[in-house]
Amino acid sequence: MDIVFQLLFQGIGIGSVYALVALGFVLIFRATNVVNFAQGEFSMVAAFLMVIFSVDLEWPYWISFLLSLGGMAIYGALFNLGVYFPLRHRTYLPVIISTIGASILVSNSTLALYGPQPQVLQPLLDFPGFNIGTVYLDAQYLLIIGVTVVLVAFQYWFFEHTLLGKKLQATSQDKEMASLLGIPVATMIMLTFVYSAMIGGLAGIMVAPILFVSIHMGGTIALKAFAATIIGGFGDVAGAIIGGLALGVIETFGAAYVSVPYKDGFAFLVLVAFLVFRPQGIFGERVAEKA
Amino acid sequence: MPLIELKNVSVRYGEIEALRGVSLSVEAGEVVTLLGGNGAGKSTTLRAISGLTKPASGEILFEGKSLAGLGPEEIVRMGIAHVPEGRRVFPGLTAHENIMLGASNRSGVSKTQIDQEADAMFDLFSDIRPFQHVLGWTLSGGQQQMVAVARGLMAKPKLLLLDEPSLGLAPVIVSKVFEIIKEIRRRGTTVLLVEQNARMGLSVADRGYVLETGRLVVTGKPDELWNNEDVRAAYLGGHARAAAKA
Repeated sequence: MDIVFQLLFQGIGIGSVYALVALGFVLIFRATNVVNFAQGEFSMVAAFLMVIFSVDLEWPYWISFLLSLGGMAIYGALFNLGVYFPLRHRTYLPVIISTIGASILVSNSTLALYGPQPQVLQPLLDFPGFNIGTVYLDAQYLLIIGVTVVLVAFQYWFFEHTLLGKKLQATSQDKEMASLLGIPVATMIMLTFVYSAMIGGLAGIMVAPILFVSIHMGGTIALKAFAATIIGGFGDVAGAIIGGLALGVIETFGAAYVSVPYKDGFAFLVLVAFLVFRPQGIFGERVAEKA
Repeated sequence: MPLIELKNVSVRYGEIEALRGVSLSVEAGEVVTLLGGNGAGKSTTLRAISGLTKPASGEILFEGKSLAGLGPEEIVRMGIAHVPEGRRVFPGLTAHENIMLGASNRSGVSKTQIDQEADAMFDLFSDIRPFQHVLGWTLSGGQQQMVAVARGLMAKPKLLLLDEPSLGLAPVIVSKVFEIIKEIRRRGTTVLLVEQNARMGLSVADRGYVLETGRLVVTGKPDELWNNEDVRAAYLGGHARAAAKA
């Protein structure tokens, strides 16, 4: 029985990372109606910023952490200006191609700078973890789960209880109407990219000590997060979180009981199953347009 | 000086000329209705005023200032609120939240004050008070129309542009919406009202303009327009309805 709790804990830990990245996906999708294929690179860039600040420059961990998050805010703003903004009046296709281009550019620039060897990043916390009974709670996983809970709570409060949150929602639902009311649509979308880059970056920084920091980490995380959004119901915030957690748990149990080499395969097995049997996801389309 | 003045405004959608040299004006405190059949250019006129569509030529003056080159966000901050065709209520926000966002053009107003003003809107729109915490997409057409008009009023506009507020509504709801327009007029807000339903449009207006395929054909007082055979002939809607009512 203890092994089940152990796996559940680890599954929720890694699932939290998928949930955070999925959240970033959904927020950008809702604001721009476009899937950002460079979402995973938000996590990768943040992890490399951590490597630059804390490993290469040997700056204190927490300062590096704050600088990396600040760097991600700037990265998100530049990403919006360079990748989305010039194409905002076009259809979704040029924007999608633009995000794919950005993804390739960023990974290959990183490859040129750091080479193919994975980098190692130390965990954020000094103590390794502790036992409850025979279940070992790793500090890094605890941190990831804790930060995710706080962020999700913050985001719920922000979107449901602040006027700015309502304006962001209005922008995602009808941009033309939002601009008719005087809501600064371009600024709202800019804020969405900044926030999305920051939570994606946070996920990358937190998962970096568990995985390695490499140019491939972005792609892996983005695919899992994408699967999570499909499972939860595309465009649904709660669905992204539940989908991410579910995916983390499924692949952890799958690795333990079925096959370790096929660990990454389980995510896509679940994804395909959902696309075939329940394409609208767990939560479906909650908001339907009335004819 | 008129509150809003269009001078020889033309609008093109690709090859199609939706407005051809339209000139009209609305004085402060007036309710003016813009009548015409489908595709006459009524909505295009409103879209040109609120900045959603750029005129190909001509000039639009609001309080004597040109609106050329300004986007919708800037124009609504100057005091022109546009309640567009199809109501466009945000589907995933509640009626109350939709109405609160109508104040987005006003700066330096606290959330508490906006909240109170939105509450006060339900005095005028008492029919939707029970639905204020219901998501927009679940509201009926009439309820959505009331939310849309209330949201427009939250901008505290000097000029309110209403596009087909009666479209797709049951007759009893249409008369409710027009009662509200009369109340808005009584409170002194200037209104430019687009209507296909000529009888309802003229019933609340000081003056009317009739558009036909992008051109103004006639203008005058409501009773002059109503008794004008050309106007009746200009679009079947008014003619048929007038005949049905007689």
